[in-house]
Formats: sequence, C-alpha cells, structure tokens
Amino acid sequence: MSEITQELDARGLNCPLPILRAKKSIAGLTTGEVLRITATDPGSVKDFEAFCKQTGHALVSSTEDNGAFVFDIQKS
Amino acid sequence: MAKRLKAAERKASILAVAKVLFADKGYHGVSVDEIAKRLGVSPAILYQHFPSKEALYEEVLSENSAKRESYIEAILTEPTDFVSVLKRMTSIYVESVSSDPDFLRMELMSALEGSHTATSFFERRWRSITDYIEYSLNELRAENQLTRINSRIAGLMYQGMLREVLYTKYITEDVRYKDMPLETMIDELVKMFVMAIDK
Repeated sequence: MSEITQELDARGLNCPLPILRAKKSIAGLTTGEVLRITATDPGSVKDFEAFCKQTGHALVSSTEDNGAFVFDIQKS
Repeated sequence: MAKRLKAAERKASILAVAKVLFADKGYHGVSVDEIAKRLGVSPAILYQHFPSKEALYEEVLSENSAKRESYIEAILTEPTDFVSVLKRMTSIYVESVSSDPDFLRMELMSALEGSHTATSFFERRWRSITDYIEYSLNELRAENQLTRINSRIAGLMYQGMLREVLYTKYITEDVRYKDMPLETMIDELVKMFVMAIDK
C-alpha cells in the first residue's frame, strides 16, 4: 500500500469540481506520490476512472466508506 | 391485443411513453391508466414493472442521469482557462438537452409542481455548471483578476441566461430566434457574461 502524500476533501462538491481540484493538487506532487481524494458525488467513481485513463496517473484504489468515495491516485 | 414483448423491451417502451407524457403534462397530470392506454396494455402490466407511478417517474429521471454529462474532457482539454472550460461545459450540457428536449419540459413541469425528486435531480444537473462558475470566479477574484462580484449570483445569472435560450429554442420556439443557430446564441451569451464579470 502506497503512502498518502496529500489529502483532498472534495465532499459535497459536484462534478466536475472534484476532478478540477484533484488535477490542481496532483500538479503540485512529484512522480510516485499519492493523492487521496474523498468525495460524496456518486458520479465521481466513473469520473476518477476516466480522469486516470486520460491523464495516465494510476488509480491505486477506489473504495466506498460510509457513503463517501475514497480514491488514491499515484502521480505518473 | 398488444403484441407480446420481452420484459426488457416492454420496460423500455413504458419508460419512453411515460417520459413523453410526463414532459407534456407533468407528474400530476398523468395517470398510470393513461400511460397504459397509450401503450395499449392493461395497468396491471405496468405495475409488473413499476410498483407505483412515482417509481416509474424516478426511473425516467434516472435513465437520463445514467447518461449524465461528463465534464472530464472539458476540464482536461487545453486551454484550461475559465472561459474555455465554461464554453466546453456549456456545449456538453446543451448537446445533452438538444438530444432529448423532453427533459427540459419535465424540468419546467417539476418546478411548478414542486416534485422534490425531480427538482433535486435537475438542480444537481445545473450545479455542475453553477458550482464551477462560483468556484472559478472565487479563485480568479483571489488572484485579483476580477471586479467585486458575487460569484454565486454570477452562476445563477449564467444558468438563467442559458436556460432561457434553451426554452426559446425547444419550448416556446419563438419565431424571432428561429433563424439564429443555437451555437450563435450560446456564443453571444458567453461573450456578454464575460463582459459582465471582467475587470
């Protein structure tokens, strides 16, 4: 399991804001570092899959925890 | 007698007919009997697929939500300045409305009827755009690139303008704008919006 470098609280935000904020946070990381995003928008599951596919970053894990969706994304 | 359909086909045909009727008459204006009559089946057949009119209505909405606009492309494509992204998001939204204007009618009907399920559904849909505007304008203002405007009201203003254009094209079909392409109207709208918020 990779260590989390930074966390982003995107709870309560609607698509596409979690993606927009994740994009900005990842820009500040170096390769291999991991950003953990917590979101509540159910659409974010598909959105982050698409985001990683398009940007080439690795979706290390995508889980649901008590109504919140948690994504760990490793910068490529 | 109506010809026998497979369950999935039957369900799809019920949803399609129900959507048109809900769009025309609103949730309260349509009865299960009427939908059944239009389909040429008994109400019992409808109840085999949907436990209630409300369940049917919700499924019509969620069908649309399954096709929910994805704004990922809009966010990731260069250039990523506020106006470029807003234009791309607007195009995606407008395209989805154009492809199925019945949902625009349902939105209008639900606002008048006060149906909670529907209003919260449509509100969420708009919020992708209004929240993006509010968030981005707050950021730009923090960078001192904007005049002192209320970002949330700016989002509402944009929603109002965009929705009016869509109503004009798809609901009232006002002859004065008949020859004006939708894209031109949207371009003008974005231009005026930017002028209003620019420093």
